[in-house]
Amino acid sequence: MITLSQRLKRKNQNEDTSTPNRAPIRDRLLVKEAQEMSQLLPVSCSIHYTNENDLSKFTLIVQPTEGYWEGGTFRFDINVTEEYNMVPPIVKCSTKLWHPNISENGEVCLSLLRRHSVDGMGWSPIRRLNDVVWGLHALFTDLLNFEDPLNVEAADQFRHSKEDFKLKVMEYVANYARE
Amino acid sequence: MADENDNERMDDNQKSDKMFTLKKWNAVAMWSWDVECDTCAICRVQVMDACLRCQAESKKDSYGKQDCVVVWGECNHSFHYCCMSLWVKQNNRCPLCQQEWSIQRMGK
Repeated sequence: MITLSQRLKRKNQNEDTSTPNRAPIRDRLLVKEAQEMSQLLPVSCSIHYTNENDLSKFTLIVQPTEGYWEGGTFRFDINVTEEYNMVPPIVKCSTKLWHPNISENGEVCLSLLRRHSVDGMGWSPIRRLNDVVWGLHALFTDLLNFEDPLNVEAADQFRHSKEDFKLKVMEYVANYARE
Repeated sequence: MADENDNERMDDNQKSDKMFTLKKWNAVAMWSWDVECDTCAICRVQVMDACLRCQAESKKDSYGKQDCVVVWGECNHSFHYCCMSLWVKQNNRCPLCQQEWSIQRMGK
């Protein structure tokens, strides 16, 4: 016969063995980093947690106040995996946009977020969530890079006609990036 | 010369009717470890303390002491050995200066 106490006992044992190794480290780092991140947030950004008890999954909303994407609202889903901070967070842009460094599927090209780097520009465990937020924010201004594009078509269009590029950006903003 | 001596004598006289007397003072000293970086940049805990992982698992050696040593690279940067051994598996560079990582010494 299965009794409740036995079931609970078995459940606890299972939990003990399946507890992942790195998660407690990540969670300890997250407590400090989440606080730092919200204190140093750029004015055009905001952070939203899906579940307030889980600091490892959140959405960054960027509303650029200058540049080509001004007036748009762009969402980045950020997932801090259990291996953090040995690996960077996984970032996906869930707002469709026309940008040389972000694909239409939402893949983001930011050196900081590269797990394996050959040039020493990729992820390093000394980086923090705050660096990731400022990096994503800067993709709309300082880090905007047409020379090494992920969306090659967007970069080519910019090279041929800045006006066409600007129009397409605005069209995407109007269709997909309204608040 | 005579004038100067007079002045000194006058100073002595003035000191006798002083307004304050220092009765007690407490010295405060600061100390820090004599290393270039005293905090492990990977787990952000002092290198002389156990790393975050060892603290979480409260790992102890057979003598009951925490067995978490410090490692210095040729670049003079120091980290917890536990933290660094995890990192070099995927990138054999110092996280702080990006130089090729090679161990200079280990210990406390």
